[in-house]
Amino acid sequence: MAQPQVPVTVLTGYLGAGKTTLLNRILSEQHGKKYAVIVNEFGELGVDNDLVVNADEEVFEMNNGCICCTVRGDLIRIIEGLMKRKDKFDGILVETTGLADPGPVAQTFFTDEDVKAKTRLDAIVTVIDAKHFFGQLEQGSEAEQQVAFADVILLNKTDLVSADELAKVEDRIRGINRYARIFHTQKSQIELEAILDKGAFDLGRILEFEPDFLHSGHDHHHEDEVRSLSITADRPVDPDKFQKWMGALLQIKGADIFRSKGILAIDGAPRRYVYQGVHMMMDSAWGTPWKDGETRSSKLVFIGRNLDGDNLQRGFEDCLK
Amino acid sequence: MKIDLANPAWQQTLPPARSLAADAPVAACAFNRDGSTVAFALGDGQVRRLPADIAAPAPDAAPPVHSGVVLALVGDPTGDGFVSGGDDGRVLRIAADGSATELLAQKGKWIEHLVTHRTTGAVAASAGKTMFLFRDGEVREFGPHPSTVAGLDFSKDGSRVACAHYGGITVWSLSKDVALPPRRFAWQGSHVALRWSTDGKFIATGTQENDIHVWRVAQATDMRMQGYPAKVKSLSWTADARFLYTSSQPVFTAWPFSGKGPEGKPPLQFGDEGAGLMTVVAAHPAAEFVAGGYDSGELQLGDIRTKRSVVLKMADGASITCLAWSPDGFKLAVGNDRGDLLTVDLRR
Repeated sequence: MAQPQVPVTVLTGYLGAGKTTLLNRILSEQHGKKYAVIVNEFGELGVDNDLVVNADEEVFEMNNGCICCTVRGDLIRIIEGLMKRKDKFDGILVETTGLADPGPVAQTFFTDEDVKAKTRLDAIVTVIDAKHFFGQLEQGSEAEQQVAFADVILLNKTDLVSADELAKVEDRIRGINRYARIFHTQKSQIELEAILDKGAFDLGRILEFEPDFLHSGHDHHHEDEVRSLSITADRPVDPDKFQKWMGALLQIKGADIFRSKGILAIDGAPRRYVYQGVHMMMDSAWGTPWKDGETRSSKLVFIGRNLDGDNLQRGFEDCLK
Repeated sequence: MKIDLANPAWQQTLPPARSLAADAPVAACAFNRDGSTVAFALGDGQVRRLPADIAAPAPDAAPPVHSGVVLALVGDPTGDGFVSGGDDGRVLRIAADGSATELLAQKGKWIEHLVTHRTTGAVAASAGKTMFLFRDGEVREFGPHPSTVAGLDFSKDGSRVACAHYGGITVWSLSKDVALPPRRFAWQGSHVALRWSTDGKFIATGTQENDIHVWRVAQATDMRMQGYPAKVKSLSWTADARFLYTSSQPVFTAWPFSGKGPEGKPPLQFGDEGAGLMTVVAAHPAAEFVAGGYDSGELQLGDIRTKRSVVLKMADGASITCLAWSPDGFKLAVGNDRGDLLTVDLRR
């Protein structure tokens, strides 16, 4: 029986950013929907709800020779267990610990066939404490990674900073990830439609979701900083050359490329070719057809560390007809 | 009486069966010790008990005993009832009259795996990273393991329990007289299912990477079998320990363990393709039969001697989630993810 896949929203953010407040709201507000919530600190949530599941984050390396290929073993088990319930739910929320790298969670949805059959990764939502963000960036790579992976960012606690400070935080976030949608919030107050069921990993909705997706550009940054960049081309793409180039790129740079996505105008193909990746994992599909007379342009987006924009541009150009 | 697949009746009609519909997925099924009752673990907290005699009237559904999903179910090795585990963190002993006694409560943990040992009457359960042993009215705790225990099994003589986890397996000696340290058998990656061979010599696991891993317990040497399109979550040793059946193939797949073992040999494969991917496999408790349930809902019975197989239940789109043989080997309990509770009688 083909049942619709349950959307899964991953909630990341530093300790104290406002994740628990947000989860409490989702569980207690009247919105007519039912969400299962997988949390890492049992009892932190004030709501007594039998759909709250406690998880120990168990990050497993896959024994397949790929060093950045890690999955959340606990998530695989829990999703399987949740699917045995009599009562079905509208979505699953996965809260990660404050210092978690969102990579393994996201990769679980690319790797595990059982998880893929029953659920789909909907979006990665990152909650940021506007007041403490700069301090957290200095404490390690986690805060930066959480921003890099995000599809939606809740820039929270805006009431605790001045307009000037807030603008600086937002600039810094944009410097890391220009493609996430940012909402300013206080006490994690946000319409749930803004963060749930977004289809950010839906290959058919790549264009719809990305606000900045059709504007290309290069910003100048320090080499080791996490940043995002895009590459465009108006000539058709040679699929074999592209596959070879992208395969090699992810093999070598996969650990540094947190997310990648693209829309390609393949030579001679009537439809767009769309793909989406997390580190070395990638999913692709044929998208919507090109309209008559429409400009067939391709666009790739990378978010990661040590990205050499010029090199990527040259590499991609070699894949064009 | 014996089961003979050469009997033309197998090709002409499906064997007699009783099918009841529950309104929650079935996570596990089991017969009790004397084979008089069959039970199904449901996603609404119920353990649905039915007479194993498919012609006997089926009693009404009983109220739920767990507050969430019943994830694990086994026949009670010390009585006529069952032992169940749920995602409410409880292990319950359910007597023949349906009354439940709590053996363990671990709030926030899931009881995902239960195994029993027939002659010692012991029951082992996994709860998170810990293994609990219930024997002679006593509860003992083993662990913690490096990660959540994803499979466990008793040795043939019941003196040890092996637990699967990330990075390999751990074998615990259960003796209270001599405190032996646990033995760790390492193999990189996550192990998601475990079965100890019926002769006690081998321990097999399924891995997250769609492989099978098998250790020779005495020598601590190991082997790896590849080529599966999905994770192998169902493993079943034949009663004589000559073969290890594995799920996740389109046909019955048996690795030979007699003689020099399976290294360098292909597995024995038989049965009809086209039913989908096998989700559960269960070797017969005594004879050389095997039952296999598919993701399409088809159920097949195979005979390894003749490589013949027959269909016991047609595909219906509801993936088979569990299988259990009655102790006498004439009945088969089957559950699926739609909530059908099937008992097939193979005497014909």
